[in-house]
Amino acid sequence: MAQAIDVKGKLRVGPSPHVRSKRTSAWVMDQVMIALVPPTIAATFFFGWWVLVMVAIGITTAVASEYLYQKLTYKPIKIHDHSAAVTGMLIALSLPVTAPIWMIVFGAVFAIVIVKQFNGGIGRNYFNPAVAARVVIKVLFTPWLANWVLPGGLFGSGYRGVEAIASATPLEFIGNGAQVVPEQVPGIFDLFMGFNIGGNIGETSKFAILIGMLYLIFRRVINPKIPILYIFTTFLVMTLWSSFDFNFELTHILTGTLFFGATYMATDYSSGALTPEGKTVFAIGCGLLTAFFRITLDHPGGVGYSILIMNALAPYIDSKLMPRIYGHKARPQTKFDRQSENV
Amino acid sequence: MSFSFMGKHNGSHPEENKSRTSKLPIVDASVPKIMIFPVSMHIGAPAKPIVEVGDQVKVGQILAEEGGFVSAHVYSSVSGEVIAIEKRGVIGGEADSIIVKNDYKYLKADPIVEPGRSQDMSKDEIISTVRKAGIVGMGGATFPTAVKLSPPPGMTIDTLIINGAECEPYSTSDHRVMVEHADEIISGINLSRTLFPMLRRIYIGIEDNKPDAIKALEDASADFDDIFVRPLKTMYPQGSEKNLIKNLAGREVSPGGLPAEVRCVVANTSTIRSCYRACEFGEPLIERIVSVSGTPIKEPKNLRVKIGTPMDSLIEDCGGFAEVPGKVLGGGPMMGKPVSDLGVPIIKGTTAITVLNPEEAEIGDEQDCIMCSECINVCPVSLQPILISEAFERGNIDKAKELGAMDCIECGNCSFICPSKIPLLDNIRSAKAAIKQKEEK
Repeated sequence: MAQAIDVKGKLRVGPSPHVRSKRTSAWVMDQVMIALVPPTIAATFFFGWWVLVMVAIGITTAVASEYLYQKLTYKPIKIHDHSAAVTGMLIALSLPVTAPIWMIVFGAVFAIVIVKQFNGGIGRNYFNPAVAARVVIKVLFTPWLANWVLPGGLFGSGYRGVEAIASATPLEFIGNGAQVVPEQVPGIFDLFMGFNIGGNIGETSKFAILIGMLYLIFRRVINPKIPILYIFTTFLVMTLWSSFDFNFELTHILTGTLFFGATYMATDYSSGALTPEGKTVFAIGCGLLTAFFRITLDHPGGVGYSILIMNALAPYIDSKLMPRIYGHKARPQTKFDRQSENV
Repeated sequence: MSFSFMGKHNGSHPEENKSRTSKLPIVDASVPKIMIFPVSMHIGAPAKPIVEVGDQVKVGQILAEEGGFVSAHVYSSVSGEVIAIEKRGVIGGEADSIIVKNDYKYLKADPIVEPGRSQDMSKDEIISTVRKAGIVGMGGATFPTAVKLSPPPGMTIDTLIINGAECEPYSTSDHRVMVEHADEIISGINLSRTLFPMLRRIYIGIEDNKPDAIKALEDASADFDDIFVRPLKTMYPQGSEKNLIKNLAGREVSPGGLPAEVRCVVANTSTIRSCYRACEFGEPLIERIVSVSGTPIKEPKNLRVKIGTPMDSLIEDCGGFAEVPGKVLGGGPMMGKPVSDLGVPIIKGTTAITVLNPEEAEIGDEQDCIMCSECINVCPVSLQPILISEAFERGNIDKAKELGAMDCIECGNCSFICPSKIPLLDNIRSAKAAIKQKEEK
């Protein structure tokens, strides 16, 4: 039995399973970045080349601050999981084109160092870093943010543009108790495509976000029920609130951060719910809260608040909705306490 | 790629890699000079050798007798001389083994029962014949079949489930048995009617990636209106006993319970076929079908193998290796056991030999959990593998138990799917061991 190849001492042993799926954590993060490309292109088209500078600053600051933090605290460097880059990109895209550079830098550092690393690093943070950063920016720096500008085209306006026209976001007309859409608000089609509306650069074109959402769904990176249930719940509440004014509901779900938040932020792994039913409750909760804030607040920001509140509730939701194990009568009754630090 | 809208699908989709062997008819493996018969090819007490070095044995002669109620006889599959009784490497460890030098005369021992009267056998006769034939679960579990066929008193069986799922990648032995021996499977099923007089439904569960097997069994069972051939979605681990019972009979076995408590018996296709052959032809279990496949294998095959044949002889039959193998497994890549030496013999529960190249056997570096929840989505018994794994790593054994560690069926889906390559199943296994140890104290 002469064997052409001698295997003695070459065979590996080890417990089953002996194969692994090709998917890696870095690949998952890369998919999110790819899905953020359509909104980035749309933003560049509407708000000018400065958008690309903003995104570059966001990514660079986020990755650099993660690297520095881990270096200074003698922790293993983990920037190669690409999660910091995603956070940086999200922060840049959720600011208006008038946002000064220091604001992007502040947001990225705050998100990475305070929200993510202080809470134990990747997979351990209970709050979505990008959402927390944008809410903090909104609260602290509103005077620098209020000047929403209308898009000026690929080569127009931008941060340096002197002719930026201040405008209100459509939300300011339909929020705060309104039940009908006033005339100042752009039409449904413009809202969907992002034509002639001001706002945070990555969030104006729902069409571009939808492409990103579908990409993530078909890559099986996000669970489709999160964005769908989130948006649908807000839609449903608004339908009831406006007594079935179809135009009003559509205008609502197509304005503000709803699409962007539902696609890229509520679907975040660490800060969202872990269990299958918990995810359903999480998404519906986000939708209900967003509708509530839209109706009661006189300023934008409802999506951010909603996601943060649901982030805080997620561990509790998970502990109540742990899946029933095969053959058992009840769900496991145990506290949901995740490890707080990566070892 | 299959797509589940709501995320939770209780299974995964490893690459199937069955196409190289799924269409190949079963062929006889060559029989080497030296055959190795471990006395422990089953779950339960090892068999006790009843031959001595120097004895001449025949094909179908008992080498070792069952060592208890949960045990099984070991037969010689060749004729020749017993040249040693010693410890030898086997799949998954070491065991006392009886070594027989093949004389290539194939002198036959008497059949274990008078052939041709399986139809007239009583319940007790069938069970004793199955016991005498040394039949164990041939899908890999190797639990003595006679024990399985005698449910504890007070438990009636109304559903028989024949497991033809064969969800392990690469493996095609059950597939070929179903295509080529569908009639014998149906005959085996018909014997079970004597065993379980209350039997109402018989399900044959086959993954839908084997349409020819589904067709063959539908044709063979056309005359029986209580036999239902059920295509199952191709998904790992569709062939796990608990999940078959849930998916086909709509029942769930309680933690630590037997299928019989929910009036079910589950048997593998090859096992039920062997039961028929034992009763009808008086054949003990000395042969089985083994698929040999994997990237480094030159010519993959489905082989009819005499139990006791060392692996290297089968690999030789398949043209040897085209490249240096990384891992050689007894069984498939999800639940199979690796061997470090190719001299180990094929035993009753060896469904396949799967060879991975070094690249395929690469596990990847462990990274931090990103909480993607995929391990939860793919767990067939709805555990939360990452939470059990973390509880164990923190030393919180009670928590691991509360989270259901003992319900783990060790299918490996969680470790397979994890994008951060966390050894989830290893940790859960360790947690189970720690829980058992704690309870024994």
